[in-house]
Amino acid sequence: MVRRNMSGVRSMRMRSICGALVIVASAAHAQSTTPGGMPPPPGMSLAESAAMRFPQPVRVGDLPGRDVLRPVESQDVLGHVRQLVRDSKGQIMVVIDFGGFFGFGSRPIAVPVDAMVLVGQDMEVVAFTPEQLRRFPTFSPSGTTPIADDAIIKVGLAKPSH
Amino acid sequence: MKSPFRPDEVPDASLLDDHRSLIRSLERRGLIRGGLSLGALVMLTGCDVKRPESVESALLAISRLNDSVQALLFDPNKLAPTYPASMILRPPKFNAYYDVMDVKPVNGATWRLGLSGLVADKRPWTLQDLQALPQISIVIKHICVEGWSYIGGWTGTPLRTFLERVGADLRAKYVAFKTADDYPSSIDMASALHPQTLLATKYGGETLADPFGYPVRLRMATKLGYKNPKWITAIEVTNSYPGGYWESRGFPWFAGI
Repeated sequence: MVRRNMSGVRSMRMRSICGALVIVASAAHAQSTTPGGMPPPPGMSLAESAAMRFPQPVRVGDLPGRDVLRPVESQDVLGHVRQLVRDSKGQIMVVIDFGGFFGFGSRPIAVPVDAMVLVGQDMEVVAFTPEQLRRFPTFSPSGTTPIADDAIIKVGLAKPSH
Repeated sequence: MKSPFRPDEVPDASLLDDHRSLIRSLERRGLIRGGLSLGALVMLTGCDVKRPESVESALLAISRLNDSVQALLFDPNKLAPTYPASMILRPPKFNAYYDVMDVKPVNGATWRLGLSGLVADKRPWTLQDLQALPQISIVIKHICVEGWSYIGGWTGTPLRTFLERVGADLRAKYVAFKTADDYPSSIDMASALHPQTLLATKYGGETLADPFGYPVRLRMATKLGYKNPKWITAIEVTNSYPGGYWESRGFPWFAGI
């Protein structure tokens, strides 16, 4: 299978490896030759696409405070995880303190967990663009139930986007 | 005023353009890049900068020199830092040269570990065979060449124990790996025998999950993340340089931390 670098030129980012002189030849690609955090294929439900991302168990109490990133090379921080709740239909939602500037001016929005992935210590929203998220209603806790910290849920993965 | 040391004939500056991608790879190494000029390359290598291929081979020669310096500096008994189990990131961070949706799980029941090269007993190993060997657990930092890291807890057989058990020639230069995801890799024997180099089968006390290399992956504390092949299917002990997936694309081979 031929894998193509979708983002065109992608500079290789070498971090310091001991003190000796390191010069690296051939730099067309970074660690990534296919991007991570791709949106769900057209026509596929969030649950179906999340199931393709090898969902892994994670403790709910380990998620609040995590950065929520945009799955692009610049990895813009869209917000931070505030809490996890079940909505009136029983669907698990991640409440994100979205937007703002240095902690001021953000507002909570609820994003289905199946629209998100775990990327190491961070999370990413893969199924919605920042423009779509801006149109999400401000989260209201009525009709939702918080999920206990000790609960284990499954969340899909993605490779880093850089 | 013209420098008295300026040569009469100046090399064509477009030669650097030919190697723009190489030079861009040094973008986080402003110091080195700042010093990288045609003149510096000539001084370092005596190469003929008018031939582009000679510039690339000069750069690769420097990378190989760096590998051998790192091998000289490597202390086989010095341990990398370890961390408390409470710091283990669960689940660990996924990475590969493709996205997670392209992971092809390996069936542990039919999986066999092949052996070749300078090994006395080349019988294939089953997962049960491997798990019957002595196991250790370590909590170490995974450091990626891309600049990120996380703390992970790994359990498995020390590669040294395995190599001794199969009668590998421990004086050989290289231990090479083949994987189910076509990601060949290889390491030096000194690092293979290091006490923090494992054939890992568990993460955080649980069986390794599919995206992280089930049933067996290499996990070593003394090298960068890309030197840790997942889904290992064969091990070869050899004196011929085996290379690796990223190494054949210009990444340093030794990649010590």
